[in-house]
Amino acid sequence: MTAAADSVERKPWRSGARATLTPELKTAAILLAPSILLLAVVIVFPIVQGFWFSLTNGSLLKPGKFIGLGNYVELLQSPAFYHSLRFSALFAVCNIVGSYLIGLGLALLMQRDMPGRGIYRVLLLLPWIVPSLVSIVAWRWMVMDDKALFNVVIKAFGGSPIFFLSESEWAIAVVIMIRIWRSVPFMMLSLLAALQTIDRSLYEAAAIDGATRWQSFWNVTLPQLKNISIVLCLLMTIWTVNDFDTPWLLAQGGPANATETLVILAYRSTFARNDVGMGAATSFITLFILMILVFFLLRLQRRSA
Amino acid sequence: MNKSTRFTRRATLGLAAAATALTIGMVPAYSQAVTLDFWDMAWAGADYVTTAEAQVAKFNAENPDIQVTYRNIPWSNWYETFVTALASGSAPDVSTGGGFQAVALYGQGEILPVDDVIAEIGDDFVPGSLDAMKYDGVSVAVPWATSTRVLFYRKDILEKAGVAVPTTFEEFRAAAKAVTGNGVYGLVSSGDAGGMHWIPYVTLANGGGLFNEDGTAGLTSEASMTGLGILAGIVADGSLNPASVGYVNNDAIGSFGRGEAAFLLSGALMPSQVPPEAAALIGVVPPLKGAHGEAETLHFVNNIMLYKQTEHPAEAKKFLKWWSDNALPLWSEGKVGNLPTRASVAADERFASNEFAQAALNEYEPIAKTLSEAKGGTFPALNAVDGDGFLVSLVQAIWQGQPLDAVVPTANDHLTELLAE
Repeated sequence: MTAAADSVERKPWRSGARATLTPELKTAAILLAPSILLLAVVIVFPIVQGFWFSLTNGSLLKPGKFIGLGNYVELLQSPAFYHSLRFSALFAVCNIVGSYLIGLGLALLMQRDMPGRGIYRVLLLLPWIVPSLVSIVAWRWMVMDDKALFNVVIKAFGGSPIFFLSESEWAIAVVIMIRIWRSVPFMMLSLLAALQTIDRSLYEAAAIDGATRWQSFWNVTLPQLKNISIVLCLLMTIWTVNDFDTPWLLAQGGPANATETLVILAYRSTFARNDVGMGAATSFITLFILMILVFFLLRLQRRSA
Repeated sequence: MNKSTRFTRRATLGLAAAATALTIGMVPAYSQAVTLDFWDMAWAGADYVTTAEAQVAKFNAENPDIQVTYRNIPWSNWYETFVTALASGSAPDVSTGGGFQAVALYGQGEILPVDDVIAEIGDDFVPGSLDAMKYDGVSVAVPWATSTRVLFYRKDILEKAGVAVPTTFEEFRAAAKAVTGNGVYGLVSSGDAGGMHWIPYVTLANGGGLFNEDGTAGLTSEASMTGLGILAGIVADGSLNPASVGYVNNDAIGSFGRGEAAFLLSGALMPSQVPPEAAALIGVVPPLKGAHGEAETLHFVNNIMLYKQTEHPAEAKKFLKWWSDNALPLWSEGKVGNLPTRASVAADERFASNEFAQAALNEYEPIAKTLSEAKGGTFPALNAVDGDGFLVSLVQAIWQGQPLDAVVPTANDHLTELLAE
């Protein structure tokens, strides 16, 4: 094909593009370009680079060689990965269910007129406001050994001390409980905001129809909260799976790896074993799992809308 | 404008040019002072930082052509601090560091050998410390301080129970069992790196270790399993404080200081971390004889190293030697928790009058082995072995009372993987 012919063939495309690129679009493109460029630099580049790392056998100091899907294959054959995956799933599910139920209960309570409501609201927000390092270390002191606060109370009621951070089952329970404690304020605040937007006339109509309080809650309140609930579940799933602070500061993923999440596994691979490829592969599998969950939750939300 | 004004302008311009030329001439003279970054680990508390900064100031005053900038590095995530600095090209010129830091970074091509510095210092190192720095035929660092594992006991608890200070591991287990009761346990430890030291210590002390003589993973060898069996036995007897699994090292030291346990394995100068009235009740157990009839213990030789990224290797070496030669105030005033590797520092009055330092230097240090025993020397994989976390998981599982047959082979397989990598 000659250059002339090429230019002739390109003309319709060019004229089409010119027609599409209206002055408004051009202005928008120019105005958006810096933002898009910034996003590409701070989001796309690290993701692409991270994915590349997951395909190499490099360390923190050496780039390493391309090994294809070697890290992913090794990871999917590793019992440590499935252990972390199971705990991450349990951690996320328990936190979402626990914090949602408690958050909803508190939101319903806080919606009522009662003396000192403002103070209660502020106090209930404290677990969210206090830096995680401070709150988790404080919790650690309260459950650490037989002389810690919880065991003092247990012993005062005639019980035997529980070594919360020494027994795997208890350590799992404590990590989940503290995560719920940290998540409840956000759940409560969001649900309280959603509760306050529900049209009062719906409750009046339900009351005229003879609905009980429970029926009003089940048939009016919950359906009205559906969309915000899906969004909250979505956010809480992402935040819980990516939570490093709670299991690390409380038990460093122990005892005997009982509270090791996928994020801790990725951290250990990268920094303790100096295996950046494996750490990146663990992170990308976590990302992939989260993306699937996000996809289904967003679809659910769209259907509900 | 008259002529004299023009002359003045010319004169001004001339003066400015002359001043600039003079300034340019002065800049090289001023900038001849070489700047070095020295990263020093947090070897002790606030006293140490103050003393170390004063030492650096002293060096700077004595050597106006070399100006050292001091930075104290906390131990939390210390290895990440160094590797990220190296990866970003902002490594220090000289640093102190953990037992296997130098060899691990040498394996990555980031460390300069220091055989010439060691030769200049001469024969002033405690036995075994220089060997622990040898890799690939070179010295990868200058020995700085040894972290020797010493078994301590509470005199008050043993006296009250009428139990003699043990001399063998079997006696140790029996003593721990005998004193357990009424809120007091035989042994307290931790579920972190401090507690993890029990694994190499008890295996080494019973004729085993992390490695076999052929360099393969040796946790499942008969001798190592005998040693680990003693730990499992102590747990089975109910002699271990059950909170040990969730404790960190400072929690265990605090519990021991409060008299809640009779025995604690810790660093040689640990008693300085408890109140003086508690320290007076602490004694050092003579090195326990293992099942093979000999006594051995574990130590880590921490080191000072030189980075390849330095632009001034000669000056960095000069400072490194000076820091090692002038280390005494860091112990006498800075209260370093480890023992010195320089024999001249170890001979100082401060150590002569310290019963714990004397016991460690005279009884423990001569029989101390490194983590690499029986493979010998040092090698880069040791850093991963020390920092990976699998030994921490193993000690936590043992403290939990999990059967050795279920947990030790898994740890041994992991060790084999690390060595293969």
